[in-house]
Amino acid sequence: MMGHLVYRNLLHRPLRTLIGMTAVAVEVALVVLIVGLTSGLLTETAKRIEGIGADIMLQPPAASIFLGFSGSPMPIKIADKLREMKYVQSVSPALLQFSSSGGVDVLYGIDRDSFRAVSSGFVFLEGRDMQGPDDLLVDDWAAKAKHIKLGDKFRILEHEWNVVGIVEHGKGARLFVPLATLQDLVGARDKASIFLVKCTRPEHTGDVTEQIRHILPGYTIRPLKDFLSLMTSTNIPGLEGFINAMIALAVAIGLLVIFLSMYTTVIERTRDIGVLKSLGADKGFIIRALLAESAMLCCAGIVLGVGLSYGLRAAFLAAFPTLSILITAGWLLKAAAIALVGALFGASYPAWMASRKDPVDALLYD
Amino acid sequence: MQFTDTIQTLPETERIPGPMSLEPILKTENLWKLYHAGKVDVPALRGVNLAVLPGESLAIMGPSGCGKSSLLYLIGGLAQASRGRVLVDGNDLSTMSDAERTKLRRHKIGFVFQRFNLLPTLSAEGNIAIAQHLHGDGFDPHRFDVVTKMLGLEGRLKHKPSELSGGEQQRVAIARAIINEPKILLADEPTGNLDTKNSEIVLAMLRQLNKDMGQTIVMITHNPEAAAYFDRIVHMRDGVIVDGVPTD
Ligand SMILES: Nc1ncnc2c1ncn2[C@@H]1O[C@H](COP(=O)(O)OP(=O)(O)O)[C@@H](O)[C@H]1O
Ligand SMILES: [Mg+2]
Repeated sequence: MMGHLVYRNLLHRPLRTLIGMTAVAVEVALVVLIVGLTSGLLTETAKRIEGIGADIMLQPPAASIFLGFSGSPMPIKIADKLREMKYVQSVSPALLQFSSSGGVDVLYGIDRDSFRAVSSGFVFLEGRDMQGPDDLLVDDWAAKAKHIKLGDKFRILEHEWNVVGIVEHGKGARLFVPLATLQDLVGARDKASIFLVKCTRPEHTGDVTEQIRHILPGYTIRPLKDFLSLMTSTNIPGLEGFINAMIALAVAIGLLVIFLSMYTTVIERTRDIGVLKSLGADKGFIIRALLAESAMLCCAGIVLGVGLSYGLRAAFLAAFPTLSILITAGWLLKAAAIALVGALFGASYPAWMASRKDPVDALLYD
Repeated sequence: MQFTDTIQTLPETERIPGPMSLEPILKTENLWKLYHAGKVDVPALRGVNLAVLPGESLAIMGPSGCGKSSLLYLIGGLAQASRGRVLVDGNDLSTMSDAERTKLRRHKIGFVFQRFNLLPTLSAEGNIAIAQHLHGDGFDPHRFDVVTKMLGLEGRLKHKPSELSGGEQQRVAIARAIINEPKILLADEPTGNLDTKNSEIVLAMLRQLNKDMGQTIVMITHNPEAAAYFDRIVHMRDGVIVDGVPTD
């Protein structure tokens, strides 16, 4: 019966109900998409780095796992020292350059032959490996997103490159150029941002790590095998806080709209509350009815919000194919729970206010 | 009314109910109600003494502002007396908490108002059913049928209040008030918003309720013709009852 009353009340003001639902839907979609985008981006980046096929990545001290932002480059001579180590099969230096012209890109300057040795090599979908100094390899996703075709000229870092190959994605970056050219371009002659190390056998990763730590104390040495587990928002300074702030913002929107909606509902239904009290409804009934109304509104909003999340993701992925948005059942549930708690919280003051109304005053209210 | 002084309040189970009992179902003793308007206290009731026997129908008349509604709210436990006592079926409302008065109202009182006061979002059926739900025994289809038939509401149950005439709305309100078989039905100018024809229908139904089912009714009215439908009439003026002589 209370369910029926609550349902009827929601239908009584369809526009208000719709606005409340939409606010909850926006709240849910914001949470799901913000978390989905960051985790999607991180997972996808991590997978790409894992996919290089090397065993160890060496970075300067205190380097970020967001490779494009890594600190000052290291002298390329380090590669020779690494090559002398036991169990090291091959070493490849790479210079990473961050470019923000026309989207955010990380450009890998690689040495063709050693990169092929540490990784299992590119899979060429079209074209060939780089030969000339201005050759550029593009992965299939970037080619699709940027509408790059084989044989095109492509400008990045104020330099014109020849697109000579389209490669399968998953090898660290999306754009690859010759190391020497990139070093000259960015004024980092004989420097590298990372060294990729391939061990003779994967089991030797620990040994090699120890040796490197010994001669290069303080340097950041990461086994690539568990890069995925490193790539979480908690490992990236500020990101966790940013996500939490965004979630708080989304919750605030939902909470305020629900509060306002229930507040106006209670004022509008003052006389009805008096009537219910005259029929013997106690404070608990009034509170439960209003909380149930808020919860029902919220649940409808959650359903809408899940739909909205998938819809927006589809739209974003259609517009930006290189984006990766990870929607997980876990976060859908969390977002729903957050929204529900917010809705109950937002309705609690209006419900309390309603339960305390004097029945006679309420009955005389117009 | 001397006999009332000797009556003791017994637990409900030990008393013999029925119209033959001389014990009032409702009694007020020196009842005062003060409203605080700014810094001054406005007395709405100034020592009302009233006793209503089970099965009695009582009309309270008096000019506007004399305290009729205030009296009804106190009897129904919607408001707290400033001084004096209200006894409903042996229960002293003045010693009861808000929650206890709510519970008493739920089980022993039915209200009918001048403005009908149906819940606008529910159908006629929903308005009656919610009273049954609040009462706690759930939906009783038999009682529901008896009451709605008696009030001639069969064809109108699916309609919202906004789709019903004033007379129909008031009949739904009466159905809602009596669905749980309350000891006392309190009506505050129930015909005040109705035309003559609908007033007559509603008054006839109230009288029928009283005569056929023994429903105790206390009704406020302005209208002497309406009051004439009832067993007894009392007049109020300036917060007191100025007579109290039974008409028969
Ligand atoms: N909530 C209130 N606050 C202040 N004064 C009130 C309030 N309710 C009623 N009164 C006053 O109490 C008196 C009795 O009112 P009421 O019981 O409504 O009379 P009636 O129903 O006979 O017209 C009137 O003078 C009225 O102005
Ligand atoms: Mg009145």
